[in-house]
Amino acid sequence: MTRERLLGREAVLLGVLVVVMLGMSLLSDQFLTLGNLLRTSRFFVEIGLIALGMTLVIITAGIDLSVGSALALVSVTIGFSYAAGAPLALAILLGLLVGLAGGCFNGVMVTRLDLHPLVVTLGTFALFRGLAFGVSDADAVSTYPEWFAYFGQFYLGPVPGQLFVFIAAITAVWLLLARTRFGRYVYAIGANEEAARFSGVPVRRVKVTIYTITGALVALAAVIYTSRVSSARADFGQGLELDVIAAVVLGGASIRGGVGTIPGTVLGVLTIAVLRNGLQLAGVATTWQLFLLGVLLIAAVFVNEFFRRRDA
Amino acid sequence: MAEPASSRLLSLEGIHKHFGGIVAVDGVDFDLGHGEVHALVGENGAGKSTLMKVAVGFHQPDEGRVEVDGEPVAFRSTRDAEAAGIAIIPQELDQFPHLSVAENLAVGRARPRRRWGGIDWDALAETARRQLGELGLDLDVTAPLGLLSAANRQVVAIARALAGDARVVVMDEPTAALSERETERLFAIITDLSSRGVGVVYISHRLEEVFRIADRITVLRDGHHVRTATTSELDTDELVRLMVGRPLGEQVPRSDRSVGDTALELRGLTRAGAFADIDLVLRRGEVLGLAGLIGAGRTEVAQAMFGVAPADSGDILLDGEAVSIRSPEEAMRRGIAYVPEERRSQGLVLPFSIRANISLSSLERLSRGGLINRRAERELAERSATALAIRGAELGAPAAHLSGGNQQKVVLSKALAREPGILLFDEPTRGVDVGAKAEIARLIDRLAADGNAVLVISSELEEVLALADRVAVMREGRVVGELAGTEATQERVMALATGSAKPDDEAAPAQAQP
Amino acid sequence: MSAATVAEPAARRGPSPLRRWLLRPEAPAVLFLLAVVVLFGALTDNFLRLANLQQILIQVSTVAIIALAVNQLIIAGEIDISMGSSLGLCAVAVGTVAVATGGLILPLLTGVAVGALIGATNGLLVTVARVPAIIVTLGMLYALRGVIFFVTGGASVSGIPMDARLVGRERLFGVGYSVWLLLALLLATWFVSRHTTWGRDVYAVGGNQAAARLAGLPIARTRFLGFVGVGVFTGLAALVYVGRTGGVQTSAGTGLELEVIAAVVLGGTSIAGGRGSVLSPVVGAVLVSAISTGMVLLRVPATWQSAVLGALILLAISFDGIRRRQVRGAA
Repeated sequence: MTRERLLGREAVLLGVLVVVMLGMSLLSDQFLTLGNLLRTSRFFVEIGLIALGMTLVIITAGIDLSVGSALALVSVTIGFSYAAGAPLALAILLGLLVGLAGGCFNGVMVTRLDLHPLVVTLGTFALFRGLAFGVSDADAVSTYPEWFAYFGQFYLGPVPGQLFVFIAAITAVWLLLARTRFGRYVYAIGANEEAARFSGVPVRRVKVTIYTITGALVALAAVIYTSRVSSARADFGQGLELDVIAAVVLGGASIRGGVGTIPGTVLGVLTIAVLRNGLQLAGVATTWQLFLLGVLLIAAVFVNEFFRRRDA
Repeated sequence: MAEPASSRLLSLEGIHKHFGGIVAVDGVDFDLGHGEVHALVGENGAGKSTLMKVAVGFHQPDEGRVEVDGEPVAFRSTRDAEAAGIAIIPQELDQFPHLSVAENLAVGRARPRRRWGGIDWDALAETARRQLGELGLDLDVTAPLGLLSAANRQVVAIARALAGDARVVVMDEPTAALSERETERLFAIITDLSSRGVGVVYISHRLEEVFRIADRITVLRDGHHVRTATTSELDTDELVRLMVGRPLGEQVPRSDRSVGDTALELRGLTRAGAFADIDLVLRRGEVLGLAGLIGAGRTEVAQAMFGVAPADSGDILLDGEAVSIRSPEEAMRRGIAYVPEERRSQGLVLPFSIRANISLSSLERLSRGGLINRRAERELAERSATALAIRGAELGAPAAHLSGGNQQKVVLSKALAREPGILLFDEPTRGVDVGAKAEIARLIDRLAADGNAVLVISSELEEVLALADRVAVMREGRVVGELAGTEATQERVMALATGSAKPDDEAAPAQAQP
Repeated sequence: MSAATVAEPAARRGPSPLRRWLLRPEAPAVLFLLAVVVLFGALTDNFLRLANLQQILIQVSTVAIIALAVNQLIIAGEIDISMGSSLGLCAVAVGTVAVATGGLILPLLTGVAVGALIGATNGLLVTVARVPAIIVTLGMLYALRGVIFFVTGGASVSGIPMDARLVGRERLFGVGYSVWLLLALLLATWFVSRHTTWGRDVYAVGGNQAAARLAGLPIARTRFLGFVGVGVFTGLAALVYVGRTGGVQTSAGTGLELEVIAAVVLGGTSIAGGRGSVLSPVVGAVLVSAISTGMVLLRVPATWQSAVLGALILLAISFDGIRRRQVRGAA
């Protein structure tokens, strides 16, 4: 794909975002205040982090339905290993390892058994959630040392702390995708996996790495989420996978693979966050949020596909 | 032959068809009479298949008219064309491997029904058995098609085309995967068809078949109509000259090669269902040709050497040492490069820029700490583009924008960028225009002269014979003979490839030797 | 013909009947199910009782009915993940009409009509507007949930009269109507798949789209009808749902889409299209339900049941992956 065209798509999305924001500020005076925007950011960082990993997965024409369940599993791992007596730092480390291992497991199943990612992650979707319920015994752990609050409730001035984590993660994944050999391999696999393999691209290794990275980002999001709501429960993150996929696809990534960028995904995340928050402030019921989100998703992809076909 | 134009069975006038920026067929006329066998010849990419796909409604022409019985028609799908009695025998790939043989014959057609409205599966199977029986094939028609050999799948495709009471049958390389006996049976069928007034369009690379079976021959080159003549007006040399645009002997120069030591050796290489007991030796400074019919296992052997689908048993020796090659990545690290047969699906990442395609196999060298050095990448692409004269688009443009020949040069550039010592070329000039074809042949010659070990797989015998020092011939998954020097003639290679070799087969003059 | 070459094992006779059955898509799931039944039958006193077996079938009926149609759609090379919201909306429609008018036929027709409309919308967006199916139906999953809130005003539908709940509650010859409905739809799907042109085209279109085009098959129409089929079956499933629950919450059907797809895939249908059997979704759904029920009887702690189920699903999928590799190696 050419650079100019991608920039064009992102520009369109940016336009949509601006229009949505202007619309919101007409509906509610509070919307366009800095305070509100920053507060909003606390709620989309988790989705945003996972969306970064999902972008890599979707560019390789894959999909990961297990992220919501994995988030719950990591959260429960942290909470319950702490409750069982482990030092919190160790509990967090354990949680991160579980997230990493879960992602790696997805990747290995997809590549070694040559199974469709939709099928594999549908299985781990059930498994991770089930493990979370099993470990937690459907209970919650809600008392933590004070310092744990830093991950999800800390403010630097008016800026929520997790926003810095998000920005750092955006930068890292963007660099990885746009500037490195690995990123080039990701696009090559998505655009034509067979040709990539014939060109000596280590397809399996790249894919396992991608799912593992996603697992790591899910774990990071789980730490922040657990800290933000100050609780660890097995029913966290239900339906999260769909929000994440919607954000990535809204950001211009093609479910058919080979196309997608980190700036696009970030814009997609912002659009969804603004839409949800703005409508809430305006007193619009969940009804229309969901309806608009669905319609916007289909419309955005329609426009993308339309131009892609015309260009081809 | 001498019918008035209005009673022509099928007639195409001034057909134009382009795909993206590439003109596939440019103002071609073609016509077919009742009971006529009209051969359509030309090199790969000359536009034969595209022209016929227009005739059967698979493509719609950008310009031009299609007439049946003198009446203009506008087929919107192959189904329309079939209803008008025009059928095509597609390539083996255009079938349904999961469906049974009988269903493959019935897809898209009216199926026999029982009185209560359901499909009569017994009658369906019976019909299938009868249709295949007419072609001399007896097999379990309820088994999935995917379990059949390439030759049998081809026969099924032929049976399908003939089943619809077609008045015009288009055969696109029907004998590519057939043995000699099967080919004979096909010819008998064609003769029978034409005696019943059916018109046959016969597309083939095998000129001796064309001369045997065709009443008239039309030559296409680079999408243009070159000449239509009755078969008796032409001979092989003239036909080849028309196809390639110049006499054959001039095609490939051969430099002096000094054959060196063994670079790669295969010992008893076997992969179940694909090939067995392959012994081959690749020497530095030498071109080894690998000939055989489609489906003989040539590509599979090359891909086993390249780690795409590793062998089950047997050894690959590099410089005398047994190695295990489990992936293309490993093969490349050991200095083996492979230029695949399927350019668009295996050779190129079409949406990628030309530059990114050329550098794709060499990114390890072009990056430091994982970051790609973009200047080094650009320089590599520019060097390659100059060396191989890649023309037609800027290096930043998608590879999809290039013509077939230039795309192939991009694939070659990618393979050569790692400076491998062992090169495996699979149909390196398929779908490439005449100019690029000669350039690629010269490049292969030069690579051998420079001391590389080269393997060339090609279905175009002239090409293999012109390039290779030795020719190994495969049939049904085995190497059935190796010919060197003047023993390597088209006749002997074909005899080995089709299994009709006689021990005292007299060597005809080597046509393709320079 | 050169039948005995390396490239072609045993073509003329074809594979033996046993081998051929083992090659069928649903074979591993059936074997797995048999193993599960034998295991639970041996370990517990109650598993093999008729009442329990019937309970399993009643439990799966909603999911299995929808999965029957989704199976055809997946074989045709498309996918639908909007079934959760779509079932919810159909159930709201069935419930609302039942409360308003009573009776069974009118609510039934309404549910089917709403489902068909949703399916047709999905189908048009995929085949005409050419938006990838997973996106269309993901968008629809959100949008329809919004419509549910809009229609109900956020309240649940309750007080559904008994007439309309017949299918979910009553029995005929000792067997629940929902099981009869499932069996009838299974037979109907089998008939359509085996004996109509559309049924056969589904396999061809999903198996090799390029070849289907060359054979002149109506690809768009085949897939469009696949989406409509999912809608219609979802409408019928809504009748069962309403009958069993007696009321419809705004969250009705949430998460159902993944259960349905899991049933289809577990049953051996290839997510890549072209391969699968009419039995697959039912076997898959029953397998899941049998395992769940068995675990209850075995007194596996409730909180661990879903983990065990997830692990077993993955195990079944892995078997299929390994089997496909071997088949590919041999063919």
